Amino acid sequence: MPGESSRSPSARRFVATRVEVEGREETKVVELPQFEPEPWQQDARLTIVGQRAPRADALEKVTGAARYTADVQRPGMLYAAILRAAIPRGCALLDVEAARTLPGVRDVMTGDDIPRVLVQERPLFESTVRYAGQPLAAACAESARAAESAVLAIRVRYEAQPHAVTTAAALAPGAPRVMPDGNLAEGGPQTASRGDVERGLETADIVIRREYRTPVALHTALEPHGAVAEWEGDRLTVWESTQGIFNTRSDLAAALGLPLTKVRVVQDYMGGGFGAKNGASANALIAALLARRVGRPVRCVNDRAGEQRDAGNRPGTIQRVTLGATRGGSLTAILLDADITMGAGGWLGGPGRIYHELYSCPNVRTTERFVYVNAGPMSSFRAPGHVEGAFGLECAMDALARELGMDPLDLRRRNLSHRNESNGRAYSAKHLDECYRVGAARFGWAARQHDSGSAGGAGGAGGAGGAGAPRVRRGSGMASQTWGGGGGPPAYAMVRINGDGTCDVLTGTQDLGTGSRTVFAQIAAESLGARLEDARVVLGDTERTPYTGNSWGSMTVASVGPAVRMAAEDARAQLLEAAAGMFDVEPNALEARDGTVRATADGRCLTFAEIGKQLGDVMILGRGTRGPNPEDTSLSTFGAQFAEVEVDLDTGAVRVLRVVSVHDCGRIINPTLAESQLEGGVLQGMGYALFEERVMDESLGVQLNPNMHDYKIPTLADAPRVDATFLDIADPAANHIGARGAGEPPIIPTAPAIANAVADAIGREVTEIPMTPWRVLG
Amino acid sequence: MELIVNGTRHDVAAPEHARLLDVLRDELRLTGTKLVCGRGECGACTILLDGEPAYSCLTLAAACVGRRITTIEGVGTGDALHPLQRAFIAHDALQCGYCTPGQIMAGVALLERTSSPAESEVIRWMSGNLCRCGAYPKIVRAVLAAAEAMRDSHAG
Repeated sequence: MPGESSRSPSARRFVATRVEVEGREETKVVELPQFEPEPWQQDARLTIVGQRAPRADALEKVTGAARYTADVQRPGMLYAAILRAAIPRGCALLDVEAARTLPGVRDVMTGDDIPRVLVQERPLFESTVRYAGQPLAAACAESARAAESAVLAIRVRYEAQPHAVTTAAALAPGAPRVMPDGNLAEGGPQTASRGDVERGLETADIVIRREYRTPVALHTALEPHGAVAEWEGDRLTVWESTQGIFNTRSDLAAALGLPLTKVRVVQDYMGGGFGAKNGASANALIAALLARRVGRPVRCVNDRAGEQRDAGNRPGTIQRVTLGATRGGSLTAILLDADITMGAGGWLGGPGRIYHELYSCPNVRTTERFVYVNAGPMSSFRAPGHVEGAFGLECAMDALARELGMDPLDLRRRNLSHRNESNGRAYSAKHLDECYRVGAARFGWAARQHDSGSAGGAGGAGGAGGAGAPRVRRGSGMASQTWGGGGGPPAYAMVRINGDGTCDVLTGTQDLGTGSRTVFAQIAAESLGARLEDARVVLGDTERTPYTGNSWGSMTVASVGPAVRMAAEDARAQLLEAAAGMFDVEPNALEARDGTVRATADGRCLTFAEIGKQLGDVMILGRGTRGPNPEDTSLSTFGAQFAEVEVDLDTGAVRVLRVVSVHDCGRIINPTLAESQLEGGVLQGMGYALFEERVMDESLGVQLNPNMHDYKIPTLADAPRVDATFLDIADPAANHIGARGAGEPPIIPTAPAIANAVADAIGREVTEIPMTPWRVLG
Repeated sequence: MELIVNGTRHDVAAPEHARLLDVLRDELRLTGTKLVCGRGECGACTILLDGEPAYSCLTLAAACVGRRITTIEGVGTGDALHPLQRAFIAHDALQCGYCTPGQIMAGVALLERTSSPAESEVIRWMSGNLCRCGAYPKIVRAVLAAAEAMRDSHAG
């Protein structure tokens, strides 16, 4: 029962549980909650959760009042700029004397001036250059312009050495060494397998082999990485654009040798992250070190060129795929051999995993070579690995369907898995088949038009027709996705009822633009019985809120939501206890709804504000903990997307006309915000399919498109009609709010659905993205 | 130099080469206008200059002396929101919000030009303002809804 403090002294309160983070599984210690609310079942009568409440911080965003990290101004603040390496490999010797003497310049800092601090496991301002764009030094000055001038005035003498910016160059005999321990991460390929793939291929009636290529893609969040640092004595406050304030705090404390009590990290509004902002950035460390040296606050925000060169990326892949199947379409073998373009650092987030998870198949083997090259290090990028892997696997599935003469949707249904075959566990819930059914119906899959093989212009969308009319063909394609998003502990929340009947929801998560401020207010108001407009979420500040983890892996709602619900229920129980005396009844004879406590017997009422007035300064403070995940259960999201495209046979231009996106992410807390997530994921996936690619000059080893003109993200004119739908089936076995994540799922199947539609339109497979005109024209 | 921003005169001590964007953000602390690309590629820094949209990252402050500068802070606040701001809220035409001030400035300029834009006109006009979160479908809806609301209020 909420509010009861009796606890068996022998019961173990801290236990280990497994949590999936960004496609990786981790074991974490978790606190068993004192009580777990009963799960909200599908038919639970909820009045605020599930409503299309407007975004809680929309007013601040439409008036320009929302303050992002780059907007933070502190008294006496200086501006920093970063010197970045102009060559991909070698050694840089710096002479900063001229830079120091420029007007307005307060400090110039190189690797010789700082303690050894690590960024992405490499020392900051290392004189050994591993990629063009690597930070070498920084300056701070009274204006941004003066800081930039100081950086330009640093004299750099480079001793250039041979470099490798492609996996082929880095794997060639005698290749330049990108990293001290060699060019293959972990010293060799990573292999994962089940069953016997060779046997599976022998028993196959049909075997197809394909090679797919995916580009290095850049997050291009509109707000770049950046931080403002301010010291008060030996206490440091950092405002940082981050997906994880607590991770950033521990990174900073470790780097600077400070106890956690002396580091505060704040992140109020955030202009997008998409996976690239998961810990203390170089910007935060540079700002903190400069601020300590000069005794003034320092802001260090990437310029766009720096952001596009050195803020992480989705690694490029070459995927050699072999699929074996029976004539009836049952998969007998899935084989992947992949090279992944890591850059000069990063983690092993490869395309392999989805090959193990998406379909039922007894024999699966993936071999991945994670190759270091002299280019900006990779980082997580919205569904890391799965986006790349889904392109290879789902295009190969369509190729197989063509070989078999089967409908691509039927082939996928034939191979539906009923448990997670990569680990043998049952799913808490899986409604992929329903996604297929709903998606196919909404798209009109069965009645779709096929233009390929027919005469040009058959699509009919090209206008009047006749001589000189564009030869345009239409096609349809689809693809599926699976991703984690089940969330997990630890996550904490507190709900504080104020004397005027309003309530603060305190939780150390972040709102990247995803809407967490809004959905946690909804969950808290629902559980407390408060009015939505009275609930305010306080997040993004390590000093004001209890711990929650990073906003990554589509984990935030499923991790933090249950903690918020429990905190609100705890607060409600205490409120009813406090009100019981005022009504002269037992607490269980009272109910709370719409900001009012009511006696169930006779309907007498007191508003939260009236109760608060009587309580005076008595503080009602509810505490919530995210409990462990169910044992031996896979918590996953599923979805299917259908795309219709138009291809101009003369120019090779691809236009996506419409996308139907149907996902199974458990209970939807706010349909409007969730649909926005789907639309956004589809659009990012479309950019990946058609436009986005980091272009390197192989001979110079530098990036040719570190800007937003030449690195092309979708514009409004490119946007298709998006039909964004959730099944909205609660998953009470996953957690007691029944929700799973929705941030990453929609980007996963977008590129393969579009590629499959293009193949359908032109009668030829396009195996490399982005599908720029020359690749389409072949 | 003297600048008229959102109807208020400001005496600004800025060098001749200062960008309007930097003067707005760093001198006048009007941080609603955002720096994203700094070279006219994304539209995040869009402001109105005598009612016409302009990229403040490509505009010299000195060139704006005597002209009417409107930033997001001058479009509407609190209970006196512009219909387009209300429509952005109602249609959830934003996610992270970083491009939103620029989107709204571009949209306001369109609605001042035409009271009943066609959908294709909205798409064409707004396509210079990039959004990475992918709010595009809802931005179109918000602009069309605001146009309708403004027509209704004129008619009423």
